[in-house]
Amino acid sequence: MRILRIGPLGITTHRRTFAVGLAMAAALAALLVFALAQGQANITVLDSLKAAVGIPVGAPADFIVGQVRAPRALTAVVIGAMLGLSGAILQSLTRNPLASPDFIGISAGAGTGAVLTLWLVGASSLWVTAAGAVVGALVTAGLILALSWRRGIVPLRLILAGIGMGFVAQAATQYVLTRMEMHEAGNALGWLVGSVTGRTWTHVTVAALALGVLAPVVLWHARALRTMEMGDDAARALGIHVGRSRTVLALCSVLLAAAAVAVTGPIGFIALVAPAIALRLTRNAGVTLIPSALMGALLLLAADQVAQLMPTTVQLPVGIFTAAVGAPYLLWLVWRASRGGPA
Amino acid sequence: MRTRALVAIGAVAALLVAVALSLAIGSRAIDLGTVWQALTDLDPTDPEQLIVSDLRVSRTVIGILAGAALAVAGALMQALTRNPFADPGLLGINAGASLAVVIALSTGVATGYAAQVPLAFVGAGVAALIVYAIGARGAAAGAPVRLALAGVAFTALVSSITYAILLLNNETMEQYRLWVTGSLTGRQNYDVTALAWIVLIAIAAGLLASRQLQAIALGEDAARALGVRIGAVRTVIIVIVTLLAGAATAAAGPIVFVGLAVPHLARALVGASLPWLLVVSAFGGAALVLVCDVIGRVVAPPGEIGVGITTAFIGGLIFALMARRMKVVEL
Repeated sequence: MRILRIGPLGITTHRRTFAVGLAMAAALAALLVFALAQGQANITVLDSLKAAVGIPVGAPADFIVGQVRAPRALTAVVIGAMLGLSGAILQSLTRNPLASPDFIGISAGAGTGAVLTLWLVGASSLWVTAAGAVVGALVTAGLILALSWRRGIVPLRLILAGIGMGFVAQAATQYVLTRMEMHEAGNALGWLVGSVTGRTWTHVTVAALALGVLAPVVLWHARALRTMEMGDDAARALGIHVGRSRTVLALCSVLLAAAAVAVTGPIGFIALVAPAIALRLTRNAGVTLIPSALMGALLLLAADQVAQLMPTTVQLPVGIFTAAVGAPYLLWLVWRASRGGPA
Repeated sequence: MRTRALVAIGAVAALLVAVALSLAIGSRAIDLGTVWQALTDLDPTDPEQLIVSDLRVSRTVIGILAGAALAVAGALMQALTRNPFADPGLLGINAGASLAVVIALSTGVATGYAAQVPLAFVGAGVAALIVYAIGARGAAAGAPVRLALAGVAFTALVSSITYAILLLNNETMEQYRLWVTGSLTGRQNYDVTALAWIVLIAIAAGLLASRQLQAIALGEDAARALGVRIGAVRTVIIVIVTLLAGAATAAAGPIVFVGLAVPHLARALVGASLPWLLVVSAFGGAALVLVCDVIGRVVAPPGEIGVGITTAFIGGLIFALMARRMKVVEL
C-alpha cells in the first residue's frame, strides 16, 4: 500500500497496481511510437516522432505523420481512456461487471443526439455534433433513471431499462436517417460505424478537453467510489456523501461515453472489457480507475493497428475488432455466471 | 375459460381490423369498398385495385406470417427458458440467420432465394442453441439480465462479422441490403407459400407440445412424475422456435420485440395457460406487426420506415416498462 500525492490529491494504491499501471503506460508509449512510425510510407522512427510533435522534418513525414497518423493514434488513445474510465465507473456503481455504456443505451442515446443534430443543424462543426451527442446521452440517461426509479435504484432494473431504451434510441436514429437527404444520411452512416480513421487535431482537442475536465473530477471521487462498493451504509459511516458522489460519478460516466461517441461514433466493448482486464491484472478487490483508462487506451490503439495491418481490400472499422475480442468475453462472463459463478 | 375465449375472439377481431388497415392505408389511401372489390372482383384497369392486389396483399400476408411466427416463438422460448425477457430478435437468433445468409451470398453457395431460406434456418438454429445454452439455467438469480445482455452481446458479435463480410464484398452488400431492412415491401416476387406452410405446421406442433412444456415449467420432477419426456420436449421446442424465427427472418428481415411484447400482454389477459397463450399470441403478433407496418407507412412521408424500426421503438419502451414492474427478487 502506498499513497501517491499530486498536490492536494492523494491516491491510495497497492504496490502491484502501481507496477501494473507503470507497465501499461510503458506498453502504451511503445505502441504509440509503433503507430506513428508504421505505415505504407517509409519514415524513420525519429522523423515520425519529430513530425508528430510539430518539428518540421520534410515533405511526406510532416503531412503523413503530423496530420494523419498522429491525430488518429492520439484520438484512439484518448477515446480508449475515456471509454475505459466510463465503463469502470458504471460497473462499480451498478456492482455488475456486465454493465457498460454501450449496452445500456447511453452510447445509443448519444448517437441519436448526434444524428439529430446533423439533421437539424447540419455538419457545421464537431463541437455542435458533440453538444448534440452529450444532450442525447443525458436525455437517455434521464429516461433510463426515470423508468427504473421505484423507491430507489436497483442496478439490475437499471440495466434492463437501459437495454430497452437502447433499442428505442437506435430506432429513433434509424428514423432520423430515413428523413435525411441522401448525402447527409451517407455521412451520418459513415460516422455511426465507429472509427478513428481520418480524425484531425480538432477531434483530438475535443476529446482531450473532455477527458481533461472529467478525469480529475472522477479521480477526486475515487475513494468515494471504492468505499461505496462496500455498501451505502458502510460508505455513509465512513463519511462519504453517498447521494452526491453517486450523482457526480454517474454524470461523469455518461459524459465521458457521450463525448467519446461524438468524436469517433459508437465503438463497442472497450468500456466493457478494459476495466475487467485491469481488475484481473492488478488483482484489486475494487475498482481501479487509472489502470482501466490505460487499458482502454491500449486496447483501442492496438485494435486500430490490427485494423490497419489487416490485408483487406477495404480497411475495416475498428469496432469490428473490438467486438471480436469483447463479445466472446461477455458471453463467457454470462455463461460462467449461469453456472453459479460470480456476477 | 369464457374470458379466455373472449380474449381469443378479441385477438382475431384485432387482426381483422389490422388487415383492413394494412390493405387500405399507405402513401395512397384507398377506401375499403375499393379494397373489397379488388379482393373479390378485380378490375385490372383500376390502378387503385392493382395497388391492393399486387402490393398490399402480399405485404399483409408476409406481415401476418412474421408476426404470428415471432410471437409464438417468443412465447415458447419464454416458457422453455422460464425467462420473461426471451425474444428471438433480442437474443440474436435473427442476427444468426442474417449471418448465415451473408456467408452463403459472399461465398457464392446460395444465389437464389430458394437456397437462402434453408441457410437462414441453419443460422437461426445455431444461434438458438447458443442462446439456449446460456439461458438454460433460467431459475438462477439475475438470469433475465444475463440473458438479455448475452443476447445484446451475441447480436453485436454476429452483426460485426456480418458487417465485415459486407464491407469487403460490394456485390453481397447489394443483395443483402434488400433482404435485411426489416421491411415487408419488395418481397412480392418471393413465393411465400412454403414459408406459410412452415409457420402453420410449426405453430400447430407448438400447440401440441404446449401441455408437456407447461408441465416442465412446473418443475422437472413434477414433469417426470406426469410422464413427460423432458429432453425430447425441449428438443422439439428448440426446433419449433428455430423454424418460426428462421421463417419470420427469411420473410420479413430482422424484427425485434414482437416475441417479447405480445406474449407478455397476452399473459396478462389469459393467464398462464400455454395453449391459450400461443393462440392469442399468434393473432396478436400478426395484428401488432401489421399495425406497426401501417404506422411506418405514414410517419415519414413521402418515404416509409421499415416495420423493424417501429417495433424496436415500441418494443423497447415496453421492455423498459416490464423491467420497471418486476420485483427485485425476479431480476
